[in-house]
Amino acid sequence: MSQREGSLDSQDDSPISFLPHLEAKIRQTHNLAQLLTKYSEQLLEEYVQQQGDPFGLPGFSPPRISLAGLSGPAPSHAGLPLSERLRLDAAALSALPALLDAVRRHQAELNPRAPRLLRSLEEAARQARALGAALETVLAALGAAARGPRAEPTATTTHYNANSTAGVFSAKVLGLHVCGLYGEWVSRTEGDLSQLVPGGVA
Amino acid sequence: MRCSGMVAGRRPAGWGARCPRAVGRPVRGPAIIPPPGAGLGAGPGGASGALAPCQFRLLRLAPASQSVRAQRRAGSPEPQSASRRDAPTPSRRCSHRPLRATPMPAGRPGPAAQSARRQPRPLSSLWSPLLLCVLGVPRGGSGAHTAVISPQDPTLLIGSSLQATCSIHGDTPGASAEGLYWTLNGRRLPSELSHLLNTSTLALALANLNGSRQQSGDNLVCHARDGSILAGSCLYVGLPPEKPFNISCWSRNMKDLTCRWTPGAHGETFLHTNYSLKYKLRWYGQDNTCEEYHTVGPHSCHIPKDLALFTPYEIWVEATNRLGSARSDVLTLDVLDVVTTDPPPDVHVSRVGGLEDQLSVRWVSPPALKDFLFQAKYQIRYRVEDSVDWKVVDDVSNQTSCRLAGLKPGTVYFVQVRCNPFGIYGSKKAGIWSEWSHPTAASTPRSERPGPGGGVCEPRGGEPSSGPVRRELKQFLGWLKKHAYCSNLSFRLYDQWRAWMQKSHKTRNQHRTRGSCPRADGARREVLPDKL
Repeated sequence: MSQREGSLDSQDDSPISFLPHLEAKIRQTHNLAQLLTKYSEQLLEEYVQQQGDPFGLPGFSPPRISLAGLSGPAPSHAGLPLSERLRLDAAALSALPALLDAVRRHQAELNPRAPRLLRSLEEAARQARALGAALETVLAALGAAARGPRAEPTATTTHYNANSTAGVFSAKVLGLHVCGLYGEWVSRTEGDLSQLVPGGVA
Repeated sequence: MRCSGMVAGRRPAGWGARCPRAVGRPVRGPAIIPPPGAGLGAGPGGASGALAPCQFRLLRLAPASQSVRAQRRAGSPEPQSASRRDAPTPSRRCSHRPLRATPMPAGRPGPAAQSARRQPRPLSSLWSPLLLCVLGVPRGGSGAHTAVISPQDPTLLIGSSLQATCSIHGDTPGASAEGLYWTLNGRRLPSELSHLLNTSTLALALANLNGSRQQSGDNLVCHARDGSILAGSCLYVGLPPEKPFNISCWSRNMKDLTCRWTPGAHGETFLHTNYSLKYKLRWYGQDNTCEEYHTVGPHSCHIPKDLALFTPYEIWVEATNRLGSARSDVLTLDVLDVVTTDPPPDVHVSRVGGLEDQLSVRWVSPPALKDFLFQAKYQIRYRVEDSVDWKVVDDVSNQTSCRLAGLKPGTVYFVQVRCNPFGIYGSKKAGIWSEWSHPTAASTPRSERPGPGGGVCEPRGGEPSSGPVRRELKQFLGWLKKHAYCSNLSFRLYDQWRAWMQKSHKTRNQHRTRGSCPRADGARREVLPDKL
């Protein structure tokens, strides 16, 4: 697939003509995002079940947690140009695998007899990488690849004092947040890609 | 018996302390209390960083204040999670901790020095690759405040008590602990279990704790008046492991060793308990740890290779959880003494010609041990299709075929065969029976003879049987005596008599066909005519 086979630069709603293979790639990536959206719901259900109540109870509202380098889709996300939205989606998908891996390691200590959860977390990390890579391919083909190197979530600076000891409850909340972010971003990616699919979503 | 090796008993070493988490006796699990003077390090304090200062703390480990100890109650009200057991009276307080933990019951050892090898990494090390900053609710005069629960992630014995505090740190004046409340696993705790220690600290007293509901720990949460979560801590309430026992091991075709065991007497510790199978050559070598677990059940392990023969191994199981460790007795065995094999392959069951009560069973000797000069003995078991009762044929010796007799005609039978390899390398010891082969089914022929029923009738046709012949002869002689004065007796008279007899038989057969068996007196009347 050559570069610039299509363009996302146009800000208006004029139709974009795609070559068939690019079109197929977009459809494939969109289908993958749809599938992962469903899997992310299952992952969240599995996760809250293993942490015990109140996780999973209706109305459970843990403290808001922010991860430097990754947050949920902003309310203004929908108003951004499509190319920018897809770049943000790709950036989030590239940050998620490391977080999901960390949650899996944590859960391996907390819930060693929950193999299905551990497998689901491992699968989620792998799937996020796959979706991110597919999205990058689409963006590159459209000439809308990410500008410059992206900041990795494993940067050297840390805002967390190494002398402190993370509590289990906070680790559970953090894992919940990461699983939630995973679901939000794959769902957001699916929504953004649906605007690229020629002829609309089947 | 699965294992024919010796079981050498050993007195276990003095495992563990009487007091969980006593200083100097590390156990698995995060520490309850940090070193004095340590506290939760703050994040970037100023607003000069890209991120707002951290406000919300889930992780503060504040050392117990003197006021907490001084105000600790002697007794405790009934908790919401009442245990079914009576709470043991605490007879000893562990030092350096704010909560009152009961000592372990007698006979239940605590953690041993070896458990230090299993001390878990602090959870913070798992988060080191992450950029992590915990933010609370937005500022701006909203009265936001943070809180910390102490102790953080304690480990407790079932039936023990817990004294905990939720200390609020307000950024705005007037931050108060009034209105705060506790939940445990999502359920609000009765207000009578908590009380205000001071304006910023809400205390909680739980007694007679039940075992943890989930292995990741019970979620104890401190809530603000509006229900928002201020802080959390996970409680681990359970029992130390009991000594594993009943270790049995077997080697499949001398290539590996699989062992399984039974966890302590009760099994349920309510805490994640790790079981580790260890083994070493008896006379030399270092301890090895089995790595492939749960191969034939939850308490089993498989050693796939590098096993020595003709030399004994020592095998044992170590059980460890947050509250202690226990070790099984040592099992000593030679791999050659616990050999089993695959089930006999190619089991065929077939009829024996038309014999309705027999089936022939044939199989092949397991090939894996054919190079090891072993003999084999076999067992067959069979059952009727709709029955669960197996019958075992034990004396099959080392043949690879057998004929089952005494079976029911027209019946489907399931048949299985298993093998015991003995005589490996000339050993006289029996091995271990293999698994049964997959069931093979066959049916016996149906019987062609009609079953008994409807009474016993005389034979068909006019041909007299031995009984009726005698009766007829007797009747003839009687008739002769009656007519003996007649000098005109001749064969013509006998022929006439025979003809009359045949006519009489024909009439009798007609009666039988209609379902009746003519009675003897009726026949007699026919046999003896009034005149001839």
